[in-house]
Amino acid sequence: MNSTPSHSILSTKKLAVGYGKAEKETVVNAINLDLKAGSFVTMVGINGSGKSTLLRTLAGLQEPLEGEMYLEGKPLNTFDSETRSLKISVVLTGQLISKNLTVLELVSLGRQPYTNWLGKLTEEDKTEIQKAIIATELVSLKNKPCYALSDGQLQRALIARALAQNTEVILLDEPTTHLDLHHKASIFSLLKKIAKQQNKTILCTTHDIELVLSLCDEMIVLHQNTAIQNTPEALIEQGIFDNLFPGTNIYFDSQSRRFLIR
Amino acid sequence: MKTSRNHSLKFTLLGGGILILLLLNIALGSVYIPFSAIIKVIFGDDSIREAWTYIILDYRIPKALAAIMTGSGLAVAGLMMQTLFKNPLAGPFVLGISSGASLGVAFFFLGGSALGLTALLQVHGWGTIIAASIGSFAVLSIVIIVAARVRDAMALLIIGLMFGSLTSAVVSILAYFSPAEDLKRYMFWSFGSLGDISWSALGILSLCYFIGIALAFSITKNLNSLLLGDHYAQTLGVSLQRSRFIILISTSILAGSLTAFVGPIAFVGLAVPHLIRQWFTASNHWTLLPACILGGAVLMLFCDIISQLPGLPITLPVNAITSLIGAPIVIWLLIRKKKLLF
Amino acid sequence: MKAKNLASLLVLFLLVLSGCKNQKAGDTASTKVSQEQNMKYATGFNITTYEDYTLLTVTQAWPGSDKTFQYVLLKQGQKLPDSISADAEIEIPVKSIVVTSTTHIPALEMLQVENSLKGFPNLDYISSPKTRSLITKNKIEELGQNESLNTESAINLNPDVVVSFGVEGENKAISSLHRAGIPVLYNGDWTENTPLGQAEWIKFFGALYDKTELADSIFSQIETKYLSLKEKAATAQENPTVISGALFKDVWYLPKGDSWAAKLVEDAHADYLYKNTEGTGSAALSIEEVLNTAQNANFWIAPNSFESFSEMASANTAYTKFKAFEDKKIYSFAAAKGETGGMLYYELASSRPDWVLEDLVAILHPQLIPNHQSHFYTQLED
Repeated sequence: MNSTPSHSILSTKKLAVGYGKAEKETVVNAINLDLKAGSFVTMVGINGSGKSTLLRTLAGLQEPLEGEMYLEGKPLNTFDSETRSLKISVVLTGQLISKNLTVLELVSLGRQPYTNWLGKLTEEDKTEIQKAIIATELVSLKNKPCYALSDGQLQRALIARALAQNTEVILLDEPTTHLDLHHKASIFSLLKKIAKQQNKTILCTTHDIELVLSLCDEMIVLHQNTAIQNTPEALIEQGIFDNLFPGTNIYFDSQSRRFLIR
Repeated sequence: MKTSRNHSLKFTLLGGGILILLLLNIALGSVYIPFSAIIKVIFGDDSIREAWTYIILDYRIPKALAAIMTGSGLAVAGLMMQTLFKNPLAGPFVLGISSGASLGVAFFFLGGSALGLTALLQVHGWGTIIAASIGSFAVLSIVIIVAARVRDAMALLIIGLMFGSLTSAVVSILAYFSPAEDLKRYMFWSFGSLGDISWSALGILSLCYFIGIALAFSITKNLNSLLLGDHYAQTLGVSLQRSRFIILISTSILAGSLTAFVGPIAFVGLAVPHLIRQWFTASNHWTLLPACILGGAVLMLFCDIISQLPGLPITLPVNAITSLIGAPIVIWLLIRKKKLLF
Repeated sequence: MKAKNLASLLVLFLLVLSGCKNQKAGDTASTKVSQEQNMKYATGFNITTYEDYTLLTVTQAWPGSDKTFQYVLLKQGQKLPDSISADAEIEIPVKSIVVTSTTHIPALEMLQVENSLKGFPNLDYISSPKTRSLITKNKIEELGQNESLNTESAINLNPDVVVSFGVEGENKAISSLHRAGIPVLYNGDWTENTPLGQAEWIKFFGALYDKTELADSIFSQIETKYLSLKEKAATAQENPTVISGALFKDVWYLPKGDSWAAKLVEDAHADYLYKNTEGTGSAALSIEEVLNTAQNANFWIAPNSFESFSEMASANTAYTKFKAFEDKKIYSFAAAKGETGGMLYYELASSRPDWVLEDLVAILHPQLIPNHQSHFYTQLED
């Protein structure tokens, strides 16, 4: 496992995330992360461990409770939201509000940070949109309205939108829920390919730990209010997965690198 | 987002519709004036009867222009409200703006002497306009203050509805203790009236209208981002606070000024965005906004022609006509398409 | 102390200055007043005739109004001096007129100028047969409904003058007429609180038609008749108690003590049980209060729009508890209607208070006027 020394893009120092202004309810604290360019990183943890909270905080959608976040070495809060939109894009869970949009219109919205006040698309914008649609294999569907897409197709369209935004960081919140194995696999491979070929930093939360173990460069495990970042191998060696789930009916088999039920 | 080619046809139809209806609107009214006379008057021919000249130049034309601004202004305001609140039932008056205007006018007609207001408002012919503007502005100020404090747009929507209820309640109390003649005059104002608007009043209304429309255009790109929801919009670089503020100001200026000058006109602001969305099957606000401007103007011109009941001495309140005509159209469209595009 | 003196000197100086200014305006015009016509009873208007023009001043266009309207009337050949500014300029005698209240119709008829009426909003309200015959011959144009005067039709008619009842605030249609150059005069007859005061407004119309003498003499006759009736009523021995009004929803509205209606009852020599309420409008009372005060009233005059005892009983059983109901001494003007349903009382009463008084005296003191043919008031039907 050669770790080519690469550029640190997104990092945190003693970050604590959670809810509440007056009465702070910390979900995860003392987070020290370091995400590099060209890496496909996954974030795992049981339900309620704070994956979405942490992801939204990194995306700037939520205020951190403590600590600092850095983008390209500079504190994240020194970036205004327009500049930030050129650096970080997201793919979130939850209903798309306007299903009336066509795939092409949805993906084109990814170019909003680049267009002028009229929203006019230049040739460069159109090229990026086209690239994103091709990368997510949506060419034949591009004029279909979103309400006519299957779950998997819609997910790919949302990823295409983030791709069109052409940011060095893409944060995805559980992009493969509700998808069958075939689609899960194709999305994870796609994300890995994008990270490598376009030198992007891709961070996605997921429940499909086994699937991504062999794919991702690093994994962030949220367990008991802390976050541990390391390569999958190191994490297995350290036995992190042994105690990931509460109770005794699940155990991790390091040989097959799978979770088994007793 | 691109505008597809066949929208041009629809825009042409709307544009043509406005021209035809504008001519009809000026040509038809309670008094029969032959079309040849109308043409002569417009081109400055002095030989036409003074009464007819006045009716055409100082009554019908200002009325037609008021109709165009009312229809398009309310439609644009309604479109913005629907996108901001992600609610198809939203319209230009959800913030309580027209309720505020109604309250102002209610005080003027029903409680004015008690509050010594009428001395202030003796500016001949401008009393209701000033009263309505003060009412709208008061509600707008409260809405802006509240908007800065709530995170969720939904909360703002509900607060606006609450204002509507509050002001209606106060108006009810005022009405309960008022003599019949005063009540009649208040009710008559609430029926809406596009006629009897002077050129100077029209001038001020135009100013407010263009400011409101300009603000709406300036925020159109962000309206498109808002289609994906607040979170995605933020990651696209949209400042939610700033966008919300501009949308609220634009809506309030349009809804408030129009209500002040022509009274509360129902239905147009809520229905025209839906009609346009269904017909154009578009979500891109760069298509919807101009289409709503044209579509709103068409609807209002048409309803005004009907309410004038050409040839008969009586007229119908334009407020009732907009709903009577508009509601069946919306129902028919939804039944036909079986799916609400929103 | 010194500052105060200085201030009052300054005020005085300014007053004198402004007074001088006004005087100047009068100077350039002829200050020769041919006739100053102060009204005997009406407080809302007066007429002053100068050598070159006549000034019709309305000081009370609506209740509580502090705005005075100056209307200049010019006979043929007269010209308005430049220094005078007026709210309207009218050439008299007027040839075509639009009025907006039925109370204006009797004046036109009495002055024999009803043919000059060219338009009226809500023609159905007019009761008088003379004017109705003009309506049937399509000589008077329908000008709209409710508050809204049909602007287009009114402008198209192009009358010499429009006489409108005054409205606080403004009326959009009237503003349009102003802008179209049609003179609009406010008539405040309904603001007068005395019966003769309201009737005196016939002189308002008299001035417009250059028939001042005729108007004066008609009013004089009405005044004489009224005063002699009042004198006669005063001779009556009895002083019956009177209640008025009825419930509207939960509220009982009746005229206050200083109102036109209350004065008439007083002049008819009766004891209106609410004569001590101050004000000229309607009082809003509860049924308990009215029952408490007026249950034993001898007479009940003008119970809103009820026309029969059975109607009243089915509307509210509380009415049946009144002595006046049991004795069937309830009188209403609601039955006096025109051909198209207009209320004759609303149209004619303010111009003919002598007839109203006559009706009341005949009801309250029947022995004084035997064989009276009622003009407005009749006993309710069963």
